[in-house]
Amino acid sequence: MMALKSKRVLLPAIFLLLFSFSLFALSVGSAEIESPWRHIFSPSLTGPAHDVIWQIRFPRVLAALLVGAALGVAGALSQSATNNPLADPSIIGTSAGASLGATIAVLLNIAEIGTLPTTIAAVIGALLATLLTFASSRSALQLVIVGIATSALLSALVGLILTVANRPDARSISFWSLGSLALVTSKSIYLLAPVILITSAIAWFISQKLDLLALGDREVRFLGLNPQRMRLFAFILIAILIATAVSTVGSIAFLALAAPHITRFLIGPRNRPLIIGSAVIGAALLLFADTAARTVAPPFELPIGLITSLIGAPILILLLRRSGEVWR
Amino acid sequence: MLDVRIRVAAALVGLLATLTSCTSTSTNAIEITSAMVTSVSSSSQETPRYSKVIALANGSAEIIDSMGFKDILVGRDIASTDESLKSVPIVSTGHQLVAEKIIALQPELVIIDESVGPIDAIETIRSTGIKVELINEVWSVGEISTKVGAIAELIGTPLAGQLLADQVQLTISESAKAVSGSPRIAFLYLRGGNSIYLLGGKGSGADSLITALGGVDVGAAISDTPFSAFSSESFANEDPEILLVMSKGLESVGGVDGLITLPGVAQTRAGKNRAVIAVDDSLLLSFGPRTPNLLAELADAIGRVKR
Repeated sequence: MMALKSKRVLLPAIFLLLFSFSLFALSVGSAEIESPWRHIFSPSLTGPAHDVIWQIRFPRVLAALLVGAALGVAGALSQSATNNPLADPSIIGTSAGASLGATIAVLLNIAEIGTLPTTIAAVIGALLATLLTFASSRSALQLVIVGIATSALLSALVGLILTVANRPDARSISFWSLGSLALVTSKSIYLLAPVILITSAIAWFISQKLDLLALGDREVRFLGLNPQRMRLFAFILIAILIATAVSTVGSIAFLALAAPHITRFLIGPRNRPLIIGSAVIGAALLLFADTAARTVAPPFELPIGLITSLIGAPILILLLRRSGEVWR
Repeated sequence: MLDVRIRVAAALVGLLATLTSCTSTSTNAIEITSAMVTSVSSSSQETPRYSKVIALANGSAEIIDSMGFKDILVGRDIASTDESLKSVPIVSTGHQLVAEKIIALQPELVIIDESVGPIDAIETIRSTGIKVELINEVWSVGEISTKVGAIAELIGTPLAGQLLADQVQLTISESAKAVSGSPRIAFLYLRGGNSIYLLGGKGSGADSLITALGGVDVGAAISDTPFSAFSSESFANEDPEILLVMSKGLESVGGVDGLITLPGVAQTRAGKNRAVIAVDDSLLLSFGPRTPNLLAELADAIGRVKR
């Protein structure tokens, strides 16, 4: 009883912590600002300090929260939709597919880097790649192996196309593997916020049904539901979330895998709380990592992917050790 | 004894820079696509020691050409882009040399610097009996003459080397401290709008160009590494007046419009005034015979962008 109660207050507590940490993140950075709190609490002030906080730090903090949430939700969805705890979007080919989709669109002059059409192309690529992985695998174990192969194949294609095409405007794509939030502006938020919020809300809405997939496909069919259609829908959501994140800040290591596992340990396996929890934990991890990336060695930036792994991996290992399951 | 005709009309450099219209202006962003080569034409008794040379060290092909010995060049690196070298085959990709192309050309001498690799390929070339000589990399205006001397020594034309070195020095001195008011200039290495940009610091090469002209390199003042991932808010705080970039890099972020919206850049005076100078990628840090006139072009561009 006690344990259940503590779980109930856990999520709001993390929410509160996240909010306070966001404010803290606004107040720190490599630029020395006198009394940053004055600028944070009265956004109508002007001047260079105001610009640094509201034009540079604020979009970046928001983007960290949004992208972190997107990665967390996408990770939770892919793990439940495939019934596989290893199904990370970067393992099952989603991220590589997003890069390929965007690369092709840019090189065919359909889209310009950093615009909505690129993101749409990335979504299509991500979805096709995820479906390819899923359709080619016969079991949960195969899914991971096929996914690794699909990712390798698509990344190789992206590399090949970029080498041959040699177009400066496509250079961003080759650096997507080194995700960074350094160049996020308020313009990026206008794209990230609606897409990620709406998609995550839909994910939350369908998540209860995804619980059923854990029973096995046969049982789901007995209930009169179509498990493959449920998966397809989940894959579309994953593709949208991942493609939006990748095409704005590049791929960020480990978060999509770690966030749902950490959440599951904290609040249990049910999908509804899992989706919200993964979003919050993902947002917290990325905000923490990005704040570290820009404040640990000022005035230089550290690569964010290194920090997400550095923070996420030990937490994940410690939690799994404490979860008490014994190696057999 | 020596009938040497010096071809560069040094006195006319300033005038030519404006007349040849190597630069184009578009809403305050100035692009420098080429710079005249400083060269000496010699009909001396000096004959190079070799008849087949591959020049891969940064700027070395242009230096040999400028001394009047283009006919001994059988291969060049990808960055030696001056028009007159077009007929010489390229035998490297980036800083990587292609061993089989080089061996197939049967050169007597290959000139490399520390940036050329891979080591295994160099060893392979050496093992076939081809002479491979290493010269020092040069990342400053003051050392161009040293590089010219080293290359001239290698191919056995010290007199032509001396003449070119003198000419280079002369042309450089014409544009030395040519800009007034010590403008604060930042060199940015851009590589796409989704990724981080790098700030050129001490030893980037651009620091030497900027200080030679009398400007202040913002990056060199705060960073001891040639290129570093600098945080956008610190960059905004530095508030440079002018941004120096490479043309392809500028294109990769969507031109001036893309550049001046990047976080950190948008908040600087340079960003607000669209004060951007773009220089052809292979020209900016070539530190060869095109550099002296590049300085003149840069001085002119800085003068215009400040207005």
